Amino acid sequence: MTISAASVAVEIDGRCLLNDVSLCIEPGQIIAVVGPNGAGKSTLIAAIAGDITPAEGIIRYDGIDLQALSSLDRAAIRSVMAQSQSVVYDFSVLDIIAMGWVRGRYAESARQFGAAVSAIVEECAIAELLERTFNSLSGGEQRRVHFARALLQLWRPRGSRNSAYLLLDEPTANLDLAHEVRLLKKLTALAAEGIGILLVVHDLNIAAKFADKIAILHGGRMACIGPPKDVLTAERLTKVFEIPISIDPNPLTIKYY
Amino acid sequence: MTTSNPQAAHLNALTTRQTRALFGLIVTTLVAAAVACASGSFEISLWALLEGNASVLEQSVFNQIRVPRVLLSGLVGASLGLSGAALQGLFRNPLADPGLIGVSAGAALGAALIIVLGSKFAVGATLGAFLLPVAAICGAALVILLLYIMTRGFGYQGVTYMLLVGIAVNALASVGIGVLTYISNDAELRSLTFWSMGSFGGVTWSLLLPALLAITVALVTMAPAARALDLLQLGEVEASRLGVNIVGLRYRVIFSAAAAVGASVSLSGMIGFVGLIVPHLVRIIGGVNHRYLLPGSALAGASLLISADLLARTLIQPAELPVGLITSAVGSPFFLWLIFRMQKP
Repeated sequence: MTISAASVAVEIDGRCLLNDVSLCIEPGQIIAVVGPNGAGKSTLIAAIAGDITPAEGIIRYDGIDLQALSSLDRAAIRSVMAQSQSVVYDFSVLDIIAMGWVRGRYAESARQFGAAVSAIVEECAIAELLERTFNSLSGGEQRRVHFARALLQLWRPRGSRNSAYLLLDEPTANLDLAHEVRLLKKLTALAAEGIGILLVVHDLNIAAKFADKIAILHGGRMACIGPPKDVLTAERLTKVFEIPISIDPNPLTIKYY
Repeated sequence: MTTSNPQAAHLNALTTRQTRALFGLIVTTLVAAAVACASGSFEISLWALLEGNASVLEQSVFNQIRVPRVLLSGLVGASLGLSGAALQGLFRNPLADPGLIGVSAGAALGAALIIVLGSKFAVGATLGAFLLPVAAICGAALVILLLYIMTRGFGYQGVTYMLLVGIAVNALASVGIGVLTYISNDAELRSLTFWSMGSFGGVTWSLLLPALLAITVALVTMAPAARALDLLQLGEVEASRLGVNIVGLRYRVIFSAAAAVGASVSLSGMIGFVGLIVPHLVRIIGGVNHRYLLPGSALAGASLLISADLLARTLIQPAELPVGLITSAVGSPFFLWLIFRMQKP
């Protein structure tokens, strides 16, 4: 039970954005994807989420070719928190969160919708935002609401053995320190519950502290993937990010200024 | 947030405010229909009709003229309101009105083709009654498809772009109608002129039936798309990640909006601005969720056009104004106000 990408290549308008990238998201594991701008991080998320079809390679959800799954099937397996979207009309925050409920999948559980939302609203500390319109929120508040929506999409009936994965593209962007820490702790808790997590993140120290594995993308290729201690070496990071970077091993800290 | 479990009610159900709004709209529509059936250049007492002591003339005016006319204006209003709401949802563009973006013009061109060329090739009257809505629906569908292809990838940024495409499509359609006008004879010209303004005059039961069918099908097809249209407001990619079959949704909305607009235009000509005003008013009353907005817009559109038609035939009795004139008189200032409001940051 994994989400796996095998030698995936993505081409858009003749430009090769990803080339021969392979990785595997295991249940209960956090993988952090790092890399400079234009390395293909968001493209990787989009390919794994199924937004774009790879030119080469194959992506499988729990062993099934992604191309063979309907969008509803995909939505029931993985949840995506992307960089913020604008919404044209004045939906309330509660409306936006409720959009995360994948209908038809757990029809018999519709009665548990209220309890599921209440729990998530409390975890994300957004109770005071619920009645406001989404468009009136600040950038950081909007991201917290999108996170809550992504969490609702992960909801499973109690005792369900169905696997669940969460893909996040820079989830901590625009968040203040308190909410950043809250979100990262929530990710750790989700991983402990068996959810597989892939997150794109810019802060190497966050990646070092919270991820089980780090994948470094560089120029559309997987430069390296493995546990933080093995992957994060001063020499490699200096080469990939093109600034002098030093490493403090205990606790693992990346210094670049 | 006063009830014990507010979110539980939120998944499928309407909020209290939305339920009240829909109920109010139903009442408004019924009252407007009753008033419109009774009044006109020939007053009919509804009580006398109910008690069964109305004169034969009163009964025949009521059955053969008033009821089909009110029914038609209500149906056309409902389909314009509904397709306006659905198109504004599909294009994520609050200015998507079937008239402004050229859908009605496409339908009118289709209908005009049948009026002029149909009689040239001696199509029978019965066949004509069905061909007319079919041609109008095809014209409307072609324009929506064209718009969709041209605005793909523009998304939210395409608000004004789409109106520009609409101007071009409207111009193209009027060229087509102009050419048809030039080659038409007197009788055809009279029918053609009727499209430019829109009117509910001269409707009969037999004319009403094909359109009634098309509009009902459109209403029924659109209803299940409500939640998908909500999700679509996050963007196509995001909606697809949440399980929406984007292609299916697209065709469903395009097909039903084209059917509704095409059938309406084939019967009553081009009536502008209803699809623009109505969804905005309905959103102001009760919110933006499509499970409320779609039925709300159908009801509000119906009551708006029933009232507008009542005004059109009573303001300068015994003469009659084109109903399109009334809706444009209300709609164009509203359109200006919308643009003014969108300019503000």
